[in-house]
Amino acid sequence: MPGKTRKTPLKDADRDYLALGLEGSANKLGAGIMKHSKDGAAIVLSNIRHTYITPPGEGFQPRDTALHHREWALKVINDCLTKAGVSMHEIDCICFTKGPGMGAPLQSVALIARTLSLLFSKPLVGVNHCVGHIEMGREITGAQNPVVLYVSGGNTQVIAYSRQCYRIFGETLDIAVGNCLDRFARIINLSNDPSPGYNIEQEAKKGNRLLSLPYATKGMDISLSGILSAAETYTLDKRFRAQGATGDEDTITPQDLCFSLQETVFAMLVEITERAMAHIGSKEVLIVGGVGSNERLQQMMGIMAQERQARVFATDERFCIDNGIMIAQAGLLSYRMGYETPLAKTTCTQRFRTDEVHVAWRA
Amino acid sequence: MTISLSQNLIRSSLPIAQGAEAKVYKAHLTPESPPILLKYRFQKDYRHPFLNANLTRSRIAGEARAILKCLRSGVHVPGIRMVDATDGVLGIEWIEGQSLRRLLPGGAEDDGSDNVDNVDSMDTDILKEYGVSVDELMKLIGIEIAKMHRVDVIHGDLTTSNMMLRRPESFTSSDPNVTTELVLIDFGLSYQSTLTEDKAVDLYVLERAFASTHPDSEPLFAKVLAGYAETTGGNWPAIKHRLDDVRLRGRKRSMVG
Repeated sequence: MPGKTRKTPLKDADRDYLALGLEGSANKLGAGIMKHSKDGAAIVLSNIRHTYITPPGEGFQPRDTALHHREWALKVINDCLTKAGVSMHEIDCICFTKGPGMGAPLQSVALIARTLSLLFSKPLVGVNHCVGHIEMGREITGAQNPVVLYVSGGNTQVIAYSRQCYRIFGETLDIAVGNCLDRFARIINLSNDPSPGYNIEQEAKKGNRLLSLPYATKGMDISLSGILSAAETYTLDKRFRAQGATGDEDTITPQDLCFSLQETVFAMLVEITERAMAHIGSKEVLIVGGVGSNERLQQMMGIMAQERQARVFATDERFCIDNGIMIAQAGLLSYRMGYETPLAKTTCTQRFRTDEVHVAWRA
Repeated sequence: MTISLSQNLIRSSLPIAQGAEAKVYKAHLTPESPPILLKYRFQKDYRHPFLNANLTRSRIAGEARAILKCLRSGVHVPGIRMVDATDGVLGIEWIEGQSLRRLLPGGAEDDGSDNVDNVDSMDTDILKEYGVSVDELMKLIGIEIAKMHRVDVIHGDLTTSNMMLRRPESFTSSDPNVTTELVLIDFGLSYQSTLTEDKAVDLYVLERAFASTHPDSEPLFAKVLAGYAETTGGNWPAIKHRLDDVRLRGRKRSMVG
């Protein structure tokens, strides 16, 4: 890193620290155990996840998702402890997602966290979901001070760190990119297993015709809802063949639409990321969030970075897609800075912006 | 394949910078002529070629159109020297001056790291050279944007990087009362619209750019709006009302108060 780097306010660990992270802001229930050892290393002891999968054509409803989390909580947490080989008594703090996310699933998981906290007399740490993604991405990839593209089912943001705050440079003005892709998967009746986004990616590999869709960047912000409507309109076109190519010349297939949707939407994402990088002069870019595991997006970002002699950092689905370990990582960082959430303050919130968090552990 | 005239011109020019969208060169159309600035929207390899060609063509043409419209109505923008939409080359007047981002607190970070503290003293000195205080500068920003919006041009990417101060020796006006000239640049994302909504979003984009680049910028941006309100006149209440609406629109924003 060029320039002056300030000393990090986070003191070296005087002993080993263990944190249990619980995540359930959307349809994934995750539990993970993070260890910050005395020699400064951060070790993932376990990272277990269970996903609530709905039938094709359906999204996940808050109430059903919350029910799923409650049903799977014991098993997921038990598996997580067994895999890590630690008992609840050794844990230093229990970290849970405070927000943003869906209300009912968030509340279920917070309730589980509170119960564990009271049973084992462990302090609680409420964590911002987005900050969890960023901190885990930084830890896994070793990126120092990257521009972060956070793309998932509920969030689409371009973020950069400045003065103990993750500032949002650009974001979606309407729906999130993952939401856009998921809803399109529903329109063309793709399976939700393992995830609608993954299936869109596979379908897009078979598409080759670029259909014209709106391209809506506004400064560093983007708008996606119009693109979804335009893509949906193509499925009502008389040239549309839901069963795929028939050998005719002028047809529109679901594969073409997936391809066009990805190409257009990802080009917009890469464009606003590049603009943020140029604006602040950064040479690193980190992709986090569920959509970040899309290889076409990673590839496009890679080409952009190469053009400007920058580096891309991306993680695989274990850490990209919502998980418990990222909550443990971000929570443990703030715990080591002396931050705890008193029981009375362990509420959840559906709206919790990335830039509201005081990032005490960074210089 | 033959090399086009624009490509040839680029080859003989001096590269200045690479922005997010384009490479920028300093060129001379003829050896004696004053320098011009070439903005070359190079092929973005990450984008599908078809998408890329369409975007490049429409953005160069749109940019030239918006600048011309501004020029005709007295908004301070660079003059147009050449346009080649197919090749993605736009030649505009070379402006002697400095980007506003570097003149304001917090904007001079060039390595992405956080070293705001040591530049504050420097800023005011440079601003003095241009004969303007920060407050006056903010008002000027508001006035230029208002003039632009009056002719229904929406900039689309208002940031302090996209504004320049001319050096006093290269003013376009010979009026001695004019002490500073603020120039709006980079109309790459501009478009025409009469809608209050679009003008409000334009201002909102700038507000966000201020907040993310220049910490504690709220009082500064208030002065921008004051200058804008003054010049806009009767349309201001409607735009202000819409701007308040737009602010609430970003995602995950607290809905309290």
